[in-house]
Amino acid sequence: MSSPYSGGMTTARENRMVACLTLLPSTLILILLVAVPAVTVIGLSFTDSGLGDGSGAFVGWRNYAWVFRSGAFYQALINTAIWVFGSVGTEMVLGLGVALLLNRSFFGRGLARAITFAPYLIPTVVAVLVWRYMFHDVVGILNYLLVAVGAIDQPLNWLDTPSMAMFSVIVVGVWKFLPFSVLALLGMLQSIPQEQYEAARIDGASDLQQFLRITLPYVMPVFLLTALLRTIWTFHKFDIIYLMTGGGPMDATTTLPVLVYEKAFVDFEMGRAAAMAIVTAVILAALLAVYFMLIRRAEAKQ
Amino acid sequence: MASLELRGIHKYFQQQHSINGVSLKVEDGELLILLGPSGCGKSTLMRIISGLDTPTEGEVLIDGQAVTRLRPKDRNVAMVFQNYALYPHLTLYENIAFPLRVRGTRGTDVDGKVRWAAKMVGIEHLLDRKPRQTSGGERQRTALARSLVRDPDVFLLDEPLSNLDAKMRHTAREELREFQHRVKGTWLYVTHDQTEAMGMGDRVAVLNQGQVRQIGTPQEIYLHPADMFVATFVGMPPMNLVETPADVIGFRPEHYLPRAFFRDEGELVDIPMRLRRVEYLGGERLFYGETEGNYPATRVIARIPATVPYSQEVGELAAFAVRAGDLSLFDPQTQLARPRTGDARVLPLRQRSA
Repeated sequence: MSSPYSGGMTTARENRMVACLTLLPSTLILILLVAVPAVTVIGLSFTDSGLGDGSGAFVGWRNYAWVFRSGAFYQALINTAIWVFGSVGTEMVLGLGVALLLNRSFFGRGLARAITFAPYLIPTVVAVLVWRYMFHDVVGILNYLLVAVGAIDQPLNWLDTPSMAMFSVIVVGVWKFLPFSVLALLGMLQSIPQEQYEAARIDGASDLQQFLRITLPYVMPVFLLTALLRTIWTFHKFDIIYLMTGGGPMDATTTLPVLVYEKAFVDFEMGRAAAMAIVTAVILAALLAVYFMLIRRAEAKQ
Repeated sequence: MASLELRGIHKYFQQQHSINGVSLKVEDGELLILLGPSGCGKSTLMRIISGLDTPTEGEVLIDGQAVTRLRPKDRNVAMVFQNYALYPHLTLYENIAFPLRVRGTRGTDVDGKVRWAAKMVGIEHLLDRKPRQTSGGERQRTALARSLVRDPDVFLLDEPLSNLDAKMRHTAREELREFQHRVKGTWLYVTHDQTEAMGMGDRVAVLNQGQVRQIGTPQEIYLHPADMFVATFVGMPPMNLVETPADVIGFRPEHYLPRAFFRDEGELVDIPMRLRRVEYLGGERLFYGETEGNYPATRVIARIPATVPYSQEVGELAAFAVRAGDLSLFDPQTQLARPRTGDARVLPLRQRSA
């Protein structure tokens, strides 16, 4: 091999070679795990394939037409919106609150931080089992406690009442993923120079003004970025919902991913499931475009 | 405009006694410099005056009113921080307007004030920029403008020039001094840089280990240091201190000259020096050596302007002397300066001049 200083063209070409070679493994993995399935799903969405045969006939846009005529799809879309905005909204607001608390110095702060982050480390299956037990209408500790303090008169059927099931699932989702937004926001809060607050105090800013005029602008880019990530992950979150309620009762917690799963692996209609998955992806992409615009605007302000 | 007074301020942090009985008064319209090495408590003192900290003991008075327990915003004190503490997401305009906005000042009044303050420090053309798009000097001036818009009684400046490079610092020093004359007001200025202190202050308070060692004009501090700490902390190079059985005698390097340089200028004290090293600094030369003769071997430094011809071989014993009137005497036990009694003093180890 020639030395890096031996001449323009050779070196440049060698550098390109090295770059391509080192990129090759990850490119291959991405093609295998992302590109191939994506193309396959797009292909499937134009066929009437069932599960496993993969050799359905070409049906054009008929699957998509079915998706947009299906009442279940719109119900799932509404459920998804409630699930995503309910979870992410609560996580972000609560997360900022908790991060602000953990950013103050108090006795036992280290322990408080450790406890706050614990749910993130518990496997979903374990967490769901524990929560299902706590939500249980007869033996659940939640009903017991709420009745004991007089908040409710009689035990509630948390997971089996259509009007409450989504709320219960969101509670579990928020409990599990709150640590993520707390961690991100706390990191940002700790990087704000203390002098900024001291200068503001001398200049006469109240606590609320300090929060609105210093803290909030500082954390906004990270706040939005965290919200973006949480939106993506929550949007196609499947395990918590499916394990908690299986999409029920009466489809009250059937979000788009749950519906896609049922179409594909319960009804064995791969073509329609694929079309629904593609529509879901497009909706998510539109949502992300809005976030990216907001983030860009927040960063431009810095 | 108002005076600022500290009465017997003490501050303990955990077990540490970081401010130990500081009393001083800054007169209306005066610029007092708090000079001291890092960790001497000068920043703590600033925080106590601004209200960010409360003293364990003692009172802070502004215009004769005790403000010790008042919140920072109720003291009408402005502070310029070492790193300026500008808000990165706001334009310079909004940074300067901040104190007015949080007080709910009307928009038209804000605009007038901001433009007036920006003009005072000469940054009118930069008001649309964000802090990161400006230089260190411009940020420093923005911080000054921000402190100005509220018409504060007292200005506190915490090492405002230490983040500038050496060249900028020089011009900034002049500007700041001129600025202070223009806006008047009572200024307390904290620095560890003695050039700043000597060049800018009406008076200088030297602080060490939480205590005021001396307050006086730059000349007083330099020529008549109150104790051995001030003698060595102020002055570059520091005052020479030579221990004798009765006293520690001190003399500035520029007063310590070859004997041949003196004519009939009164009493001389001969302090011969064994020359070790000569340092050429452009405008002047520093002669490093050790005292000999009747004095215990002590490292001393003499400073001679480069324009004055004088040469001496390294290793030689050189005849150096100080005028008796230029000597300072310190008590070796208390380290305090002995009271000055004029030229008629009798020096224990003095050698008569011819």
